[in-house]
Amino acid sequence: MSDDSGSDRRAMLRLTACALGGGIAAAVGVPVVRMLADPASKITVTGPSAPIDLGPLDRLKIGADPVSVPVVAKEIRDGWNAVQQVVLGSAYLTRTSAGDCTALSSVCPHLACTIGWDPGKRHYVCPCHESLFDPSGERVTGPSERGLDPLPVTIKDGRIYLTWTRYRMGGSKREPV
Amino acid sequence: MGLLQELRTALQVRLTASATPGQVPGGPSLAYVLGAVVTFFLVLSAVTGLALSFFYAPSVTDAWASVAYLEDQVTWGWLVRGLHLHGASALVIACGLHLAQTAWLGAYRRPRELTWFAGLGLMLLVLGFTITGFVLRWDQAGYWASKVEVGIAAATPVVGDLVQKLAQGGNDYGNLTLTRFHALHVGLLPALTLGLVGAHVWLARRHGVTPRRRQGAGASPWWPAQTVRNLVAVALAFAALLAVVVSTGGAGLEAPADPTAAYDARPLWYFRWLFLLRKLMGPWETVAALIIPGLVLGFLVAMPLLDRTPAQGQGSPRRRRLVLATFFALCAGITALTAASLARDAGDAEHGKQVAKAEAQATRARRLARTYGVPPAGGLAVYQTVPMWRGRALWETQCKDCHQGKDRKGPLIEAGYGSRAWIARFFADPGGDEFYGRNKVAKSEGAMKPVELTGEPLAEMVELVYAESGAADADRGRAQKALPAFEEQCSDCHSREEGVSSSGPALARRGSLDHLVQFIGNPTAPIHLGEAAEMPRFDKDLSMVDREALAQYLLWLRTATAADVAGLEPL
Repeated sequence: MSDDSGSDRRAMLRLTACALGGGIAAAVGVPVVRMLADPASKITVTGPSAPIDLGPLDRLKIGADPVSVPVVAKEIRDGWNAVQQVVLGSAYLTRTSAGDCTALSSVCPHLACTIGWDPGKRHYVCPCHESLFDPSGERVTGPSERGLDPLPVTIKDGRIYLTWTRYRMGGSKREPV
Repeated sequence: MGLLQELRTALQVRLTASATPGQVPGGPSLAYVLGAVVTFFLVLSAVTGLALSFFYAPSVTDAWASVAYLEDQVTWGWLVRGLHLHGASALVIACGLHLAQTAWLGAYRRPRELTWFAGLGLMLLVLGFTITGFVLRWDQAGYWASKVEVGIAAATPVVGDLVQKLAQGGNDYGNLTLTRFHALHVGLLPALTLGLVGAHVWLARRHGVTPRRRQGAGASPWWPAQTVRNLVAVALAFAALLAVVVSTGGAGLEAPADPTAAYDARPLWYFRWLFLLRKLMGPWETVAALIIPGLVLGFLVAMPLLDRTPAQGQGSPRRRRLVLATFFALCAGITALTAASLARDAGDAEHGKQVAKAEAQATRARRLARTYGVPPAGGLAVYQTVPMWRGRALWETQCKDCHQGKDRKGPLIEAGYGSRAWIARFFADPGGDEFYGRNKVAKSEGAMKPVELTGEPLAEMVELVYAESGAADADRGRAQKALPAFEEQCSDCHSREEGVSSSGPALARRGSLDHLVQFIGNPTAPIHLGEAAEMPRFDKDLSMVDREALAQYLLWLRTATAADVAGLEPL
């Protein structure tokens, strides 16, 4: 065996070893990486896309204080789980006319604390940093850069249906998350 | 001092390199690949295991559901899980072959005893992985196999009870069992394995491969000639594993663990020999389960002590006849018992039936999990995701005996109940067998007489009663036309005004959800059947939610056909 053919053989073996090693690593790595990446292309946690029934419109009186109602989704899918009757949060409802009402998210746009209604002073107040909002949700004072976020409401057969929406925290612009 | 000195000398001999690192004495050979194959399968288990843990949740409520999700809904999840489970089998086989080859070549002898002990320790760890891993899926197979294993450990004299409680994390299988086995499987055992593999490989490299008896002189470097041979063997082994995984469809998953359901438990195949041994030993099963494996392990540990023939030069197997004969007799025994156990099951028709039943249930549970998701209550609650499950389950237990079958005591309730056709049949013969024929009220003075109407007036009267149910397809205009006839023929006994009783059942909102809920709650109320009711009230036994679920099912029956009922998902 000459030196040349010996080093050729070694080079060949080296190449084979790398190819085999790489092939085996790829055969293991590709399925593993594909599996790990799977959730990235999926909706793993469903939000309630369908409007949520908040009960009859007549529970609200024109001119009365806003009413805080829990927003409960019929079902949320989260990975393998299907959870029924999930409390998503709450909304303040105000009757505006015989056939309509408005809904405000009770999540403060500043840092997402849950705001309350002060019936004496007739304004919304955030307990965390004391942002104040007037009954229509407009910002009055405080660190919040925008007014309370309105939630879309439709009235059907005398019942209130609300589409649950969450907005990005902070900022003066309202961007859905 | 003398003893310590001896120990130090002994260790020195074992830990001092007896071979040139990176060199293969006698040149590269396919005979030296098994260690690499074992290492590969260990790494494969670690990689796939880590990947699986991205999806796994170790709690009784989530374990099965998360595995079912991974298996059925995550791209290539079944493949990675299959590689993990069948890879463990491959690892056991590779370990067994490595062990047998080491025994045959006498590589357990001085100075390689410590390598041998580390190898035995690794083999035990591998078995520990399979035991702790099998239960994590929390399906019928893993749950029951694990229960049996812990039950065996519990039979250990003196410490058994403590061992059992420590293993299962308390008095019974539950959340703490899973967190425990999970921590062992992904934390403690891998750490120990890493340490032992390190020691094993370090020692193996220090002493080099055991020279074969007929080999050329000299040595050649490990890289790349031996590496290529190792990798070829690994590639072939991996290809075989992949073929098994793909052809079996992966690791499989049984129905969620059900502590109340009988299950024909079987251990993983590499514990089959002990499983059969226990059966064969009958009342001596503790001997089979604890003493025999202890003796086998004891023999393996003792092999380097029993066989003192020198390692170099004269290590021919013939000179180690007794030790080798015992070793391979044990191997043959274990193999034969394993084969016999599998053959027994294959020939057991009753077991075959159980397996088929379990498979059908697994398929169903996984389909439900895929379609409806698993309720937070856990894997077993998956069966309750069947549409109308609650109402139908209550129907089966509370209502069916009296309302269906030839021995029923009350009116028949089946597909079409409360429909227009049903009402028309009722009008024609209220005391007929389908209706109140089996009740006392049909023979009483107050029994309702057939409605004497035909043609359109009858249809109008049917519509009037049907419309009370609030059905969306009711023709209220047509119903109104029946009012004069109602006043004339019916109103003496039947009120149509909400909340107003009459001598016969009040008809206001009859057949609506509210009406059914109230009727089920208390049929003896004056507004319903009053004193004439033979049906018991259910408002004490069934909650409002239960009664509403039942009523929803009855409403569904109104528009259902017999085929619809037959086509319902089984409960």
